[in-house]
Amino acid sequence: MTGGRAEDHLLETVTELLGDPAHDNNPLRDPLARLLELSTGQRERLERLVRISDGFHQIAREEKRGLAEECDTHLRRLERLVRISDRYQESLREISESLREEALHDPLTGLGNRRYLTERLEAELERCRRSGAPLSLGVLDVDHFKAVNDRLGHERGDRLLCHISNLLADQLREYDLCGRWGGEEFVLVFPETTAEEAVAVCNRVRRTISDTPTPDDLAVETVTVSIGVSTAEEDPDGGYAAAIDRADRRMLAAKEAGRDRVTGPPA
Amino acid sequence: MTELTRESTASTPEIVADASRGLLAMAGDSYPENSYEFFGEIVRWVEEYLGQREDALRLELRLAYLNTSSVRAMLDIFDLLEEAHKQGREVVVEWLYDARNERVAELAGEFKEDCTFPFRILPEEPAE
Repeated sequence: MTGGRAEDHLLETVTELLGDPAHDNNPLRDPLARLLELSTGQRERLERLVRISDGFHQIAREEKRGLAEECDTHLRRLERLVRISDRYQESLREISESLREEALHDPLTGLGNRRYLTERLEAELERCRRSGAPLSLGVLDVDHFKAVNDRLGHERGDRLLCHISNLLADQLREYDLCGRWGGEEFVLVFPETTAEEAVAVCNRVRRTISDTPTPDDLAVETVTVSIGVSTAEEDPDGGYAAAIDRADRRMLAAKEAGRDRVTGPPA
Repeated sequence: MTELTRESTASTPEIVADASRGLLAMAGDSYPENSYEFFGEIVRWVEEYLGQREDALRLELRLAYLNTSSVRAMLDIFDLLEEAHKQGREVVVEWLYDARNERVAELAGEFKEDCTFPFRILPEEPAE
């Protein structure tokens, strides 16, 4: 029997005895009745106290849980905010990356454009100045391109340029660079390469272009190119523009000499 | 209940809040200089609409780029809708995106995650 039930049982017995008329004259009856009354009152007070105290506990507990939940909600929200915001930022980064790509590339041939070439040329020139390594470059111009354009139209002319740029990209060595300078003119950059080596590579490029059949529907039998080569050593303090200029003049000399040829610096 | 319209600018989306149609439309990129000010009146409009009317509310969103404080404001607005939805109000979000840009759909999906009200992410063919 538990304490509570034993107490209940005792109280029941006492109540029963007090109610029994046989004990009316017992001298203990009156004090016992008063004791019972006192005990019942105290029991009720105790129960109320426990109830109120439990109530406060409950409130405190709920408050604590509420705060924890609120904190969790805020945290989750913050995590979402960061996640979503990061993704927006990532997409902006990708856009700016692709804009940069576009800004440096020629949309027709996919090669680097003039801006790309000047950026790279400046960097390469600076690098070879520091290291003392040679640097050569070539200016390539498609022979009789204007005639092709006029005779067959710009669309075929564009495709002829793509045909040449594909061959160019194939024929250059790993560290060489090339891009479209403008119109039918391409610039080739040969880091750590002497003029003789550059002329040799350019001759290989030139032969490949003249030997490779053009796509049938272009209606151009053969296409040839003229290339002028210059080196940084010719003018150690000059900028890239001067080097391009020298190569350009040699390219024109190659044209005058009959086209389909490479002209390097005078030996 | 007033109508709220804002022309789009370089950094804020176009806003059309029309109580008579139960519509809040937002279209464009959002990276306002003062997002508290810009979104404050939109959030207040939503609160007022949900508080003063019994009608349904539809959000029509064509938002491509949102900066962090705009994301936060949108989460606030969706919280208001969620609360209203739990009280039995009819609310719906339609997030329309350029069919060529799946990315926006993925991001809208992130917003949708905790929402229990109807939240539709719909591709839209670009107008030529």
